[in-house]
Amino acid sequence: MRVSEIAFGAICVMAVVAAAPRARQAASAPNAMTDSIRFVAHPEHIPSGFPSHDRPLALRNPLEGNANARKVGAQLYVSYNCIDCHGADGSGAMGPSLADGRWHFGGTSGELFESIYQGRPDGMPAWGGRIANDQIWSLITYIQSLSQGKNVATENFTGRTVERTGH
Amino acid sequence: MIGHLTSIAHAATGVVFIAGLSACTSSSDTSPSRDSGGVAKATGAPVQVAGTRIAAPRTTAAGEWQMPAGDYANSRFSDLAQITPANAANLKASWTFSTGVLRGHEGQPLVVNNTMYLVTPYPNVSYAIDLATAGQPLKWKFRPENAQAATGQACCDVVNRGAAYADGKIFYNLLDGHTVAVDAENGTQLWRTRMADLNLGETMTMAPIVVKGKVLVGSSGGEMGVRGWLAAIDAKTGKEVWRGYNTGSDRDVKVGSRFKAFYPQDNGKDLGLTSWPGETWKQGGGAVWGWLSYDPELNLVYYGTSNPGPWNPSVRKGDNKWSCAIMARDADTGELVWAFQVTPYDMWDYDTVNENILVDLPLGGTTRKALVHFDRNGFAYTIDRATGEVLVAKPFVQMNWSTGVDMKTGRPQVVPEKMTAEGKLVKDICPSLEGGKNQQPAAFSPQTGLFYVPTINLCMDFEVRPVTYIPGTPYIGANAPEKKGPGGHGGEFIAWDATTGRKVWGIEEPFPVWGGALATAGGVVFYGTLDGWFKAVDASSGKALWKFKVGSGVVGNPIAYLGPDGKQYIAVYSGIGGDMGLLIAGDVAANLPYDIRERGSTLPDLARWTSWGGMLFVFSL
Repeated sequence: MRVSEIAFGAICVMAVVAAAPRARQAASAPNAMTDSIRFVAHPEHIPSGFPSHDRPLALRNPLEGNANARKVGAQLYVSYNCIDCHGADGSGAMGPSLADGRWHFGGTSGELFESIYQGRPDGMPAWGGRIANDQIWSLITYIQSLSQGKNVATENFTGRTVERTGH
Repeated sequence: MIGHLTSIAHAATGVVFIAGLSACTSSSDTSPSRDSGGVAKATGAPVQVAGTRIAAPRTTAAGEWQMPAGDYANSRFSDLAQITPANAANLKASWTFSTGVLRGHEGQPLVVNNTMYLVTPYPNVSYAIDLATAGQPLKWKFRPENAQAATGQACCDVVNRGAAYADGKIFYNLLDGHTVAVDAENGTQLWRTRMADLNLGETMTMAPIVVKGKVLVGSSGGEMGVRGWLAAIDAKTGKEVWRGYNTGSDRDVKVGSRFKAFYPQDNGKDLGLTSWPGETWKQGGGAVWGWLSYDPELNLVYYGTSNPGPWNPSVRKGDNKWSCAIMARDADTGELVWAFQVTPYDMWDYDTVNENILVDLPLGGTTRKALVHFDRNGFAYTIDRATGEVLVAKPFVQMNWSTGVDMKTGRPQVVPEKMTAEGKLVKDICPSLEGGKNQQPAAFSPQTGLFYVPTINLCMDFEVRPVTYIPGTPYIGANAPEKKGPGGHGGEFIAWDATTGRKVWGIEEPFPVWGGALATAGGVVFYGTLDGWFKAVDASSGKALWKFKVGSGVVGNPIAYLGPDGKQYIAVYSGIGGDMGLLIAGDVAANLPYDIRERGSTLPDLARWTSWGGMLFVFSL
């Protein structure tokens, strides 16, 4: 199933949403630039989405492998509407798949942080300053778990029942 | 298993259709079954059914295709008659052209003055192809400025549904919310006007029409919490002339003294405000991403509005006007003259954006000025296009969410168990959110009096979840996994009699039919399939005449034109995509190394039959 069970837990997400900073309010908070300087020394010179390979790559996820962070991340994935762009099980919808182990802008913790924090030019919004950094790390913990153990390189159609075609 | 289904469509006609697999064989006894009533029996004979007329038939040169549907009426009927049921088996690929873009190629080319005009999906490059020179060289190509961020704001692939030609100019919309005018001779951009706000999730994918010097456009974004509108732009200057919103106050919606809806519940002050709780109308959807029609005699422009936002219905209790509605506006002023809400308080994502086909039909002993509309909700409506009165409303696909349309009010009677709400998981709703039909437009032939309709046979489970509005992100609040409907086929190409509301014949297809239809005066109807077949069938009987396997699934709409050599050509895009091709099909792309999708559960085998593409195919005898 493309649509996983995540959403069945969506109702209990409300508690998390209530505790999280309200996205609409946070959006008007003017701390995005000051926050981003912690990761990018001269953000004014870096176009949105330009990979800055030196600095962010070194970032480590403080919540890496943390089971609770993964759970929180799964809930945030729904409440921040990630689900509707990237699919209920991260398998892609409007936005690319996050469950294939392949990454447009890099898959290290630091690169994922940068993707979420400052956004990407193909429509990924910048969440830096709108949501707390530990929430970004929880999301990363969850997202990284989606592709664990997956090998998407080969799609073998032989030996399977062939459904009808229009022929 | 899918339970509680009422096969209304089949039961109503009393006809059984088992054409799918066998239609490709040539023996006549496997042709689709055919109803005996109400339709001219002549095959290919250029006679018109009495009392039947395409409203606003084309006035342009025979053999050209100047606007998205060929004419203002949206008939998608071509007068060309060289290709007939007798010779269609001799059709062959004549020439092809790669658009250079691998995304969903919805829409269709234009042909004007022996030049073909194409618009690609994002980045919305346009091409002018010289049809009078061997090898079809380009006259020009135009690469507009088009913000890349738009690709992340478009809900359902980065499609474009085509351009319109008028007065030496090509007009079309850019995904990032601009409308452009390009000189048809040399490809120079004449103007570029920002019409939609990308930051609010508005993109533009629909095909404009040009009416009396005004370019009419609308926006997409029903899944992004937008507020829908239709706008008119001065074709000469690019300046906006009027804009009518689909939600909000009477002033914004342009409801004035001329407004008169046929049904009582559609009349009243500020319904675009009062049918919504609080200020939910501001993110209430009602986008205009489908097709526009125009009746020059009534001077009315017709269009349908999208689903209300968000999908979660519990946060917007009320009729949610004017989402899921058919709107008739004065073409000069934009005033709303009448409106009919097809699905009040939608809770299944049943947009009403599908095309409105303007035809005069013999009904009840007289000729009625009709508008025929095949809605996502599964009902086919025959409506009086002067007043908005529903004349016929019958299911054209299998459905179970409604028991029928109440002809006193025009409202569908909803089955309570199929009503969705927050905290509820409703199983087995038919049709699915893709609808009984989606953007793929139907065609009409005045020779048979029949509508040729590409349909979808999917059902869904619908689970509503809480949702927060965050500008520039989806505003949905539901999960709705889909599966094939009863019978196991994904779609059916049907012929429909809109005077009685009956299916006359049908060809079952394994996948939803997501490409549009073309009817021709030769008595041949054309359509393409998701698994990449382009087909010709007999307009009268539905008998398969010819097919060709194109490079990628077809989600575009065929057109017919007369070449400079005097021959009839049929042109169609191949290039799977759109909502069905991108979101539902899953594993059909191969050009993005960072985005590898697994096979979707709805159409698990489609990836075996097709991959992304972007080609124009042209056929002739």
